[in-house]
Amino acid sequence: MSRMLFRRSLFGLFTLWIVSIVVFLATQALPGDAAQAILGREATPERLAALRAQLHLGGSLPEQYFSWLGHVVTFNMGSSLASGNPVVDTIGPMVLNSTVLMFASAVIAIPLAVVIGTWSALKKDTGVDHVTGVVTLVLASLPEFVVGVLLVLLLSTGLLHLFPAVFVQIPGEHVWTHPDQLVLPVLTLVLAVSPYIIRIMRATMLEVLDSQYVQQARLKGLPEREVIWRHAIPNAIGPVAQVIALQLAWLIGGVVIVEYLFRFPGIGFELIDSVTNRDLPVIQALVIIIALFYVIVNLLADVVTLAVNPKVRTAQ
Amino acid sequence: MNAPRRPKTLRTLTATLLAAAMIGLAGCSSAPGTSTAAVNSTPKDGGTLRVGIVGGSAKDSLDAHSPVTHPDEARVIQLYETLATYDVNHKVEMALADKITPSADAKIWTVHLRDGLKFSNGKPITANDVIFTFKRITDPKAPMAGANAFSALNRDGLKAVDAQTIIFPFKTPFATFPDTVAQYSTGIVPVGYDPKNPVGSGPFMMKDFTAGQQSTFVKNPYYWRKGEPHLAAVTIIDFPDDTARVNALLGGQVDAIDQLPLGQINIVKANPALKVLESATGSWVPFTMRVDQPPFNDPKVRQAFRLIVDRKQMVEQVLGGHGTIGNDLYAPFDACYAKGIPQRSQNIAKARQLLAEAGKTNLSVDLVTSSAAAGMVEAAQVFAQQAKAAGVTVNVKKVDPGEFYGDKYLQWNFSQDFWFTRDFLPQTAASGFSNSPYNETHWDNKAWSDLVNKANATVDMTARCALIQQAQQIEFNDGGYIIWGFPNSVDAYSAAVQGFSPDKSGIPLTSFGFRSVWMNK
Repeated sequence: MSRMLFRRSLFGLFTLWIVSIVVFLATQALPGDAAQAILGREATPERLAALRAQLHLGGSLPEQYFSWLGHVVTFNMGSSLASGNPVVDTIGPMVLNSTVLMFASAVIAIPLAVVIGTWSALKKDTGVDHVTGVVTLVLASLPEFVVGVLLVLLLSTGLLHLFPAVFVQIPGEHVWTHPDQLVLPVLTLVLAVSPYIIRIMRATMLEVLDSQYVQQARLKGLPEREVIWRHAIPNAIGPVAQVIALQLAWLIGGVVIVEYLFRFPGIGFELIDSVTNRDLPVIQALVIIIALFYVIVNLLADVVTLAVNPKVRTAQ
Repeated sequence: MNAPRRPKTLRTLTATLLAAAMIGLAGCSSAPGTSTAAVNSTPKDGGTLRVGIVGGSAKDSLDAHSPVTHPDEARVIQLYETLATYDVNHKVEMALADKITPSADAKIWTVHLRDGLKFSNGKPITANDVIFTFKRITDPKAPMAGANAFSALNRDGLKAVDAQTIIFPFKTPFATFPDTVAQYSTGIVPVGYDPKNPVGSGPFMMKDFTAGQQSTFVKNPYYWRKGEPHLAAVTIIDFPDDTARVNALLGGQVDAIDQLPLGQINIVKANPALKVLESATGSWVPFTMRVDQPPFNDPKVRQAFRLIVDRKQMVEQVLGGHGTIGNDLYAPFDACYAKGIPQRSQNIAKARQLLAEAGKTNLSVDLVTSSAAAGMVEAAQVFAQQAKAAGVTVNVKKVDPGEFYGDKYLQWNFSQDFWFTRDFLPQTAASGFSNSPYNETHWDNKAWSDLVNKANATVDMTARCALIQQAQQIEFNDGGYIIWGFPNSVDAYSAAVQGFSPDKSGIPLTSFGFRSVWMNK
């Protein structure tokens, strides 16, 4: 198993390298450069020339790319072209904020979805099961920003006035200082991520409950509780772990739109801004972090699948 | 109504959803306007105003002379005071200066500062600071936003006569000097000014600033206007997204927002706790035709295009009626504006005839547009519809703002742009001459230039107005702009906020005039 992990990690690194090249080329294909993006309409030729010199823009494509790569290998992400601050200082707080948001969403969504999915499977074809089925289907088909807007209307600006609709952070405070501001973004992400997990959990659970080993356990007279916890759930969780991983990976993308909607100061918010500014060092750093997250989540999913599957776990 | 079809972007879709649902909710809400308490006319001191402003980004800056984002404009107006400024009717009034006087040929201007002026650190504001400010703006190595307007300034000849008097010499006559020093990007800063430590002359001074997020400013105790500012502090919060900005106002997280989206105006009006601030302005969103390129190098084609536009329909559909129609001339609030020229209106038959005379029947042109300013894309789409009637095919090409203002900006053959309210002469300096920085239409007309140069050198108002009106007549006949209307600026604020009033500048929230605002709480 450790050999497989090593192979996967190497492959992950290779993926990151490919991503860095693709993103580099994509940002080069965007019309205009950082100096133009910063000055916008104020970009008279004299001001452009002065700012380009100040930002050290220029050099051939491979030159720029390898100079950036060389810095990354030594953990120097460079400085933001837009603000002049080191990239690490710029995106550090953003990464932390997004992590808080995603972690809170995942910690709520995953256990909740697994429980609801299992429950729905056990109550197959009852009213509870049908309601869950319809609700998850509707939620799964709505884009997350629609869910977010509806939540704002219901809980913030329209019907009820329970939670703030946007995130306003006082400088120097942490995002969790005002937990009421986190409610709506977290709830949006939970509602966006849970339906898939619930549905796959239910389907897998039904399959497992129909299987011969569960029948066998029941025939042996084991209590139903033990049948489910010892025999059914461990076998159902393998495929579900893969779906959870996909959903977590989706979270980091979905977070872009949700952060924009709620004005949450995280990586999504920062990414949109840095693309508008053609702020190459920041874009590169953010995309590498997002890609790294994908790679790690997928690796973890593989580990979980292996850990709960004795056949693979014990194989040489 | 035959509304223009808009792209279903995320933003418009969310806004539409929000609007639809809000109207439904407002309909069944049971709180009829609890009559707003009688307006208390004595300002109260203290309190914090929280303002949500469009845009903002990591590139935000506090540099007095180089505001790059929209919230930057709001910030420099709080931090730095100019020599002169505009009142709400867009007339120049004195600010830090109490007298600005020209020589007979308008080549030498003398500025006299008020008594007892101080910077936010308590040091006096002197002639040397003024000279430092304008040398910084016009530094040839790092020219600032206002540099172009001062291209005729003989910067080595700037001279302090005494601690309160400065002489500004120009290479050519410059009758509009007071306008130029009333622009918000010419705020006075102390000698040795560093934007990292923004010592200023404005009503507020910096407390904290996070680019792309928010900034807080506190009362400047040394501000020169008696009794102002009333507020103890102002917090400016960046909002790149329209929906979030409106939600923040509805949810009470901010007290005022600029640029209320059209779809939200009626919702806010229906809410007794909120008020709408609507101002007629002289800002314009023209179509720009390059007069040096086919097909627009033929004046007949330009005239035909101007006759194609149904201006009333434009204002109705693009601005939801929140605007006034234009007559292909800018600077409607200029005292010299040519009011005598009859209003041009749609005439498809005449347009077809002109196109036929120019040999351009079945003309097909590309119109490059971008969501760089509100209403641009919609105006392009409405124009494309209107042009069909005259047998002209207009292909609307939408590009992102980065590309729009990129390498090809000012090179597009048929495109758009936007401008805030300006008087005629400052506007011509920005866009009318072959060496102007933003001459989108490549207008280069000898007779016109002579008239405008003469006007620039004419201090007598009546004589100057006559010259300006002749120049406007030339532009009305042959110019490359299609100026179909002037959008109103529409902002919104909580009923507890007092002191905002309509303002013609086009700069939101009474030109971000937070110094005269107070909280009635």
